[in-house]
Amino acid sequence: MNALYDFIRDHLQALAASHVLPQPFEYEFVINALMCSVLIGPLLGVLGSMVMIKRMAFFSQSVGNAAMTGVAIGVLIGESYTSPYFSMFGFCLLFALTLKYTQHRTTLANDTLIGVFLSISLAVGASLLLFVSAKINTHVMEGVLFGSILAVDHTDMNVLLGVTVICTLIGLPLYNGMLLSSLNPSLAHARGVKVRSVEYLFVVLVTLVTVACLKIIGAVLVEALLLIPAAAARNISHSLPGLVTWAVLIATFSCVVGILAPMQFHIPVPTGGAIVIVAALVFAFTTIIRGTAPQFRGASV
Amino acid sequence: MRGPAIVFDNVCLRLGGTQVLDQVNLRIEAGALHCLVGPNGGGKTSLVRALLGQMPHSGTIRFEGEFTTPLGYVPQLPDFDRNVPMTVNDLMALLGQRRPAFLGASRAARAANDQALERTGMAGMGKKPFGSLSGGQRQRVLLAQAISPMPWLLILDEPTAGIDEAGVRLVEALVTELNTRGVTILWINHDLEQVKRIAQSVTVINQRVLFHGPAEQIDSRLEVIR
Repeated sequence: MNALYDFIRDHLQALAASHVLPQPFEYEFVINALMCSVLIGPLLGVLGSMVMIKRMAFFSQSVGNAAMTGVAIGVLIGESYTSPYFSMFGFCLLFALTLKYTQHRTTLANDTLIGVFLSISLAVGASLLLFVSAKINTHVMEGVLFGSILAVDHTDMNVLLGVTVICTLIGLPLYNGMLLSSLNPSLAHARGVKVRSVEYLFVVLVTLVTVACLKIIGAVLVEALLLIPAAAARNISHSLPGLVTWAVLIATFSCVVGILAPMQFHIPVPTGGAIVIVAALVFAFTTIIRGTAPQFRGASV
Repeated sequence: MRGPAIVFDNVCLRLGGTQVLDQVNLRIEAGALHCLVGPNGGGKTSLVRALLGQMPHSGTIRFEGEFTTPLGYVPQLPDFDRNVPMTVNDLMALLGQRRPAFLGASRAARAANDQALERTGMAGMGKKPFGSLSGGQRQRVLLAQAISPMPWLLILDEPTAGIDEAGVRLVEALVTELNTRGVTILWINHDLEQVKRIAQSVTVINQRVLFHGPAEQIDSRLEVIR
């Protein structure tokens, strides 16, 4: 894959050198981040619309916080502190599956249970990160929390590509079953959907995507980018294809603009923050459209 | 195209600390139009969910015979989230095809879905948001999805609750027609007049089976329902 990345990078840098593309394209790390955005946008758009429909917004926040613990564990066991993927994926999957398992075995409301796990993951993650902070520099912690395009390398791009392939191969064939199982489990059962299995699979997919996006968006804000594009798309959609298409476009647009704008205008903000601010502006814009354009006023019933 | 008979053998189900079903023994004949009646909380919906494989239970539920087509299920209307941005066509695509519904309905599914919508009096409503339809219209859409493709067993959970007289007649006529074509109907129903009008057999259930027999005998057994 490295040859492909180099090929794309060389071409874009040549275009930037001849002033066809803006100046930030001259930098390798910007192109790396933009290549990631092209994968992250569709992933978060499709998955985020499902997260919104399933009312699992804070689930991904919990997983993002759990990733902090994963990073800390990675540092403690001697993994590379810039890419502790083994610990992050391992711990986050364990965390997410435990949450789902508990959800099926308690009478607590969903938001209550997720709130409990969210608090636990934040407390443990923050404590452990502070404990290991002496071993790593503060930029690494900042990158984990808020994202950093400077840190994106070929390993991160390969991980993201791998997660994209897994999500496409598993998520697309099971998409209808996953959605139906949350709309009406009885109907899903009647249609032969293994409701419990697809729910666990969905949790796994959200976890994989959350962890793979951490380098760009950061643990604190990854949930926002799952949710805001889908919510913005909801404002201007009456149909499922409309919802998903708009969510993909808005997520991709937010990532690309959130990466390029601070570079172009020399604004010293972390990537995750910039991406989420762009997404929030789009959300505000679609809210205004929805409030003023007659055809969208009834978009929510 | 008759499917198998459905046999519930000593089915027990507990939810939390409550006994919902207690030693339910019941046989629904192939091709029957069978109604389940009983008080709220009597276990009718739980029995159906156990049949769908959604609720763990003791005892056995078995099919005596073979079937090649799927079963159709019409859930209670309040169980369906109206806030999901989804047109009628999206919902039909979600239920009737393997291709992800956000990519739109496949050509094959679209033809079958249009036909099913037409049969339930919903022709031309495919592009309407599902959540913006009236209760009766949504119920007809849910009925349409259940008969596309044609099932061997159609399970209806109070499909005529809250819909107008014309809608009730349409559902009754459609269900009766499906039944004459060999589809077994299992209908959870609170309307005893309707039960007498359309059903061939009926089971009164309140945790246990209180009555099981021909629908015309229901009048003489009203005391078990009350």
